[in-house]
Amino acid sequence: MEKREEKRAFGVYEVFVQKTALDHHRHVGSVVAPSPDVALITARENFLRRDPAVNLWVVPRDAIYAAPREGDFFARELDRRYREVSGYSENGRLWKMFKEENPDFEEMIRYFEAKEAERRRSLLISEGEQESRGSRRS
Amino acid sequence: MSLDERHARFMERIRRGEKIEVTDWMPDEYRRLLIKLIHMHGISEVMGVYPEKEWVPRSPNLRRKLSLMAKVQDEMGHGQLLLRVVEDLAEPLGKSREDLVTDIFLSRVKFHNVFHMDAETWADAGLIGWLVDGAAIINQVSLLETSYAPYARVLKRICAEESFHMQHGENIILALAMGTQKQRDMLQDALNRWWESLLFFFGPPQVTDAARRMLEYRIRVKTNEELRQQFLDKYIPQIRAIGLKVPDPELHYDERKQRWVYTPPDWEKFSRIVRKNCGPKSQERIQLRRQAHEGQRWVREAMLRSAQASAAV
Repeated sequence: MEKREEKRAFGVYEVFVQKTALDHHRHVGSVVAPSPDVALITARENFLRRDPAVNLWVVPRDAIYAAPREGDFFARELDRRYREVSGYSENGRLWKMFKEENPDFEEMIRYFEAKEAERRRSLLISEGEQESRGSRRS
Repeated sequence: MSLDERHARFMERIRRGEKIEVTDWMPDEYRRLLIKLIHMHGISEVMGVYPEKEWVPRSPNLRRKLSLMAKVQDEMGHGQLLLRVVEDLAEPLGKSREDLVTDIFLSRVKFHNVFHMDAETWADAGLIGWLVDGAAIINQVSLLETSYAPYARVLKRICAEESFHMQHGENIILALAMGTQKQRDMLQDALNRWWESLLFFFGPPQVTDAARRMLEYRIRVKTNEELRQQFLDKYIPQIRAIGLKVPDPELHYDERKQRWVYTPPDWEKFSRIVRKNCGPKSQERIQLRRQAHEGQRWVREAMLRSAQASAAV
């Protein structure tokens, strides 16, 4: 009987450590404890014997709602380079063209035409990819 | 989806090098193998505390006492982290922390042969940190690549702390190796006592069925013999460098086969010790564990009642 009781009542707490005031709390693992205050002490003893920290959270596992691990919740089908710094690597080259003593407008036009052609080509490829993906699914 | 299809998909994930989480579907066999491996690992961390804590009150000075206490505390902490991983895996089977711990004194779980042995002198305390932890690190580093993600995450922390243990042990044995003839003899005696246990620690050279399944599931990625050879590669030069002699006249490196040749340990003797808990210190240490667990039951119950009372207010 005693055993049953212990089994039911020791809860799992997920542990989050904040290393410095400029860091977010970060998940490091979990502990079992009979109450949140004991969970805090156990977490400190388990995870902070060496690492410095300014704060610690323990959260009952049941309180965490997680995204599914399977399925396409995190799928990235579109090219998202337009959201990233790396999507704008041509800027350096463009600035250079403008800063030259006698800008060669012919060269600029050729550059943009080549780029446009490349964009169309990649669009065709990705459409093709999507089609074949779609056909695999069905 | 049929069970066979699920199994095939699971094996496909393993082959792609994907990591498995506790909430993912997994074959029962995979779960059972993980529980067996990590339970034994966790309990070995806990039982590994005993040979060393015996030396805490007898440490030669305060600095040594502090670092030994820190190591003992780390090992208990590792035991707790690993038991957490097992608890999550064993939950569908209705097993709790209480069961995982009482399994020790009901002889339902084994622990590593080295922790059944006696730590007679201070040199043993140093040698445990240097070579036993050294062997454990080789094993644990290879497990960082395991297919089971929660185990891999916990091992990252454990490996980092084990390198402190190794430095702590090396520091003790280097001091002894630079000491008097009596101290050097003490160190050689400790090596003679532990050598066979250390070879046995990695397990039999033949790949057993369970070991083969673990390799297929990528729970483990290296065989016992690969790990043992890695241990010999690293430590034989160190042992020789401090003027110690490996107590095995047959030991040599076979250049052609690129491997160490050694006299095998007494497999039967050590496996009996582990199976039956009949090593020189097994029963004494298991009794201490039982006393600690049962003697502190009232504390756990008081904490529970206090939490329930405050929840009821």
